[in-house]
Amino acid sequence: MKTARRLLVALALAVPALVWGCSKDEPRSTRWADASAALASAAASGTPPSASAAPVVSGSTLNKFFPKDGEGGYARVFTQEKDGFVEAKLQKEGKDVATVSISDTNGTPDAKAKFDAAKDKLAGKYPLVTVGKNQSSALVGNRWQLKVSSQTLEAPARSVILTTFDLEGLAK
Amino acid sequence: MTDLLSTLESLPESSLTTRLLGALDYVVPGEWNNIVSLEGMIRDVTGEEDQGLIQQIGERALVLFADPEQGYQRAVQVYQGVDSASTVAGAAALASMASERFEILSFLQDVAPKPDTVQAIDAGAKLAAELVAFTLTNGLPGDSVMDFASALAAYGKEERMRMTAWLAFDALIPLGPDFLEKMLDAIGSVDLSVIEDNRVFRFVSEHLPGDIAQKRDALHANLQNAGNTLRGFADERGMTQEGLVEKVREYIDVADDKLDLLAASLDMSTNVFEHTGVQTVARRIVSRAYGEI
Repeated sequence: MKTARRLLVALALAVPALVWGCSKDEPRSTRWADASAALASAAASGTPPSASAAPVVSGSTLNKFFPKDGEGGYARVFTQEKDGFVEAKLQKEGKDVATVSISDTNGTPDAKAKFDAAKDKLAGKYPLVTVGKNQSSALVGNRWQLKVSSQTLEAPARSVILTTFDLEGLAK
Repeated sequence: MTDLLSTLESLPESSLTTRLLGALDYVVPGEWNNIVSLEGMIRDVTGEEDQGLIQQIGERALVLFADPEQGYQRAVQVYQGVDSASTVAGAAALASMASERFEILSFLQDVAPKPDTVQAIDAGAKLAAELVAFTLTNGLPGDSVMDFASALAAYGKEERMRMTAWLAFDALIPLGPDFLEKMLDAIGSVDLSVIEDNRVFRFVSEHLPGDIAQKRDALHANLQNAGNTLRGFADERGMTQEGLVEKVREYIDVADDKLDLLAASLDMSTNVFEHTGVQTVARRIVSRAYGEI
């Protein structure tokens, strides 16, 4: 009886696996193949790549510069705190509206290049750019990159959120 | 360690695991889509369409994963580890590949119900693994002392689906509505050596502080806090043992009174933590890459 029951489970398990199981795809993203191979060979040669070009601040030192919880009617939930990068999401009525972050460009100096061509200023003094269609970014104190990303808010609304960071505090 | 690209893109588009997760969509409608390409994840996280920008985000994401200091690789190892620890060798292949019939039958001779104590420790260890992987992936976000229960409350997407699946497959189906009491009781009262020898626990153990007694306390405390939050979620969403079994029966046939056998079959033939865990880590990395470039 026990064996029969196991057999029943066996067949029931086997059928879906056989029907749906054969869908192993070809590699899907050839566009990153070169970048991926370069990283793999660096790791294989005993020098794994570093995500940071130079020392960066610990994430916890950046928390206090974020928009306050409740600011602009948004609940703020911190979601990542890594060296040189802190991220939070802003929610209204339990729904995610925007992602806000501060990163230390000491670790990612290339990120600063886009601000050279910035035509707009945040709070009259910090270079402000739009990245893609869903992100606004400002550079404070020539080091701290602030970002507001949202798939629902337009650039003006994103800039308003950027002004709710502690810009003066960060610039010091 | 393999790279982010192959780790994410080697996940199956369709397997017993993805079908069963799909069956849980009624609990968390639209929360989980089975994203198994880096480009797909970038589009989902950012909503961006510019090819140059997508390329740039992807390149940064690969670097973030490749740097072992960032913790992402270890997070993936934890997710993979708790699943492989609870899955009998060969069973994962069954779920994702067409195996030879002979192998399938030989694997299933190993299906036997787990005692409630083992089930309880396995489930508690998986929830501890979630805490460990969360910390490795995200650090300790915010200024307050880490409160994993409130982080759980803010879970979305793959994370939320993984916790829903834990409630279904590791808690409600095998142990019923009072699963939390049963788990807490088992973990609190069982001999320390039983915990120490548990295959799933052994994998999380190295990430928990202290000696074995303290590790047991950590397991117990995490289960109490996070488990309560999750049970609240299960109640709010109307998750019941009967309703879940009915859904799962569309994929696995088992007699009404053999829920322990059903649970054991699910455990051995699926890799929910690994599959959705890789997706979670990829999502967090992509979000960070978008913030850093």
